[in-house]
Amino acid sequence: MSRVDEILMMAKAVPPFPKVAHRVLAMLDDPSVKAADLAEIIQYDAAITANILKICNSALFGLHRKITSLDEALVVLGQDELKDVIITSSSAKFYKGTVGAGYDLGQGDLWKHSVACAVVARQLAPKIAGANPSAAFTSALLHDIGKRFMSSFVADELKRILVMVDVKKMSFVEAEQKVLGMTHAELGGMILEKWEFDPEMATAVRCHHDPDALEKGPLAATIALANAVVVSLGIGGGADGLATRLQGEGMKKFGIDAATIESCMADLLFELEKAQEVLNL
Amino acid sequence: MKVVVGIADMKVSKKPADVLITYSLGSCIGVVIWDPVAKVGGMLHYMLPDPGPDKAKAQEKPYMFAVTGVPALFKAAYALGADKNRLITKVVGGSQVMDTAGIFNIGKRNYEILTRMFAKNKIAIAKQDVGGNVNRTVSLEVGTGRTVLKVSGRGEFEL
Repeated sequence: MSRVDEILMMAKAVPPFPKVAHRVLAMLDDPSVKAADLAEIIQYDAAITANILKICNSALFGLHRKITSLDEALVVLGQDELKDVIITSSSAKFYKGTVGAGYDLGQGDLWKHSVACAVVARQLAPKIAGANPSAAFTSALLHDIGKRFMSSFVADELKRILVMVDVKKMSFVEAEQKVLGMTHAELGGMILEKWEFDPEMATAVRCHHDPDALEKGPLAATIALANAVVVSLGIGGGADGLATRLQGEGMKKFGIDAATIESCMADLLFELEKAQEVLNL
Repeated sequence: MKVVVGIADMKVSKKPADVLITYSLGSCIGVVIWDPVAKVGGMLHYMLPDPGPDKAKAQEKPYMFAVTGVPALFKAAYALGADKNRLITKVVGGSQVMDTAGIFNIGKRNYEILTRMFAKNKIAIAKQDVGGNVNRTVSLEVGTGRTVLKVSGRGEFEL
């Protein structure tokens, strides 16, 4: 069996994304649905319900009073915020423990990197015509999910991969592709498809290390840019470091310059301080 | 004791047993200073050259920016008894993603502003490890001045 076959077989065994999340997201697009209808679905998943309360009460969502029940949360949160909260609360379990050790990531690093990326993507989306902030938040939160499942394969070959990066000046995903026959971004795209997320989100995840990602549609551009910001700051960064390609010229067509990126970086640090409850999920 | 310097953070110490450490410097820059006579050490981990138009950010987080963080680092070390003429200064970080057009170049600009500030204030860089596409972790033993750098793919070595 080839390495790619092994990875694909493992991908088949990836557990499903919580069904509750997809049902609630679909209901949110239907204007006739009431908070009580949502509560009825959500309350069956105790872990998600508990997470929702923690996330609502984190400063990241900036609510001015303490939320004590699911019903209250559903009333107080706006629709887009509610989508972000549901996705965050449903995704956290995939990032628990020492995931991503193969990439030299410590406990909690991959989650921190993902939350940071989601925060930046939500900030950048309004500046990028055609990028939906909620889709950007979700795709960014899940953009490195491939690392979660590819980690053990990378662990076996990390030395070879890093030599290619150091000596042959490859990007990390180029070396990943060369050594394993597949990248964590490709695997992530497949997982999002399997989890029945919108194809545009799966594409954004698949392309987030493509050098020409800024040419691949607004959502893909947002995620690639958000990732470049977070990777540059070394937040939840591992052995891959900053060895990723990005053709920065593509920023111009969105009217994004170095000053915008710097301002995003500064804001991110302030936002992350408010996200402690989310980081501790 | 291990003293962690976070992102946009600064620490100084004159306790010989302290080890100042900052993790995962990408495009950010770590400035490490040490006075071998007073045995005072300091470390700054700044993110950006300057706050741009939003000066309030620099008031709230002076260590986020080179223009406010670097003077604060030196002043804090002087307050512990360090002398400008004795301080040994080391600089690490300033990496960037692989953008051939050089537009996504915060690391480079972080380094450029530092060298300009140092030239103006006649501060020499004794050792440095900057640029490339790597993450760096740096630590300083306050008692001995031993500075250790860990770079992904290149392992751990003394700077």
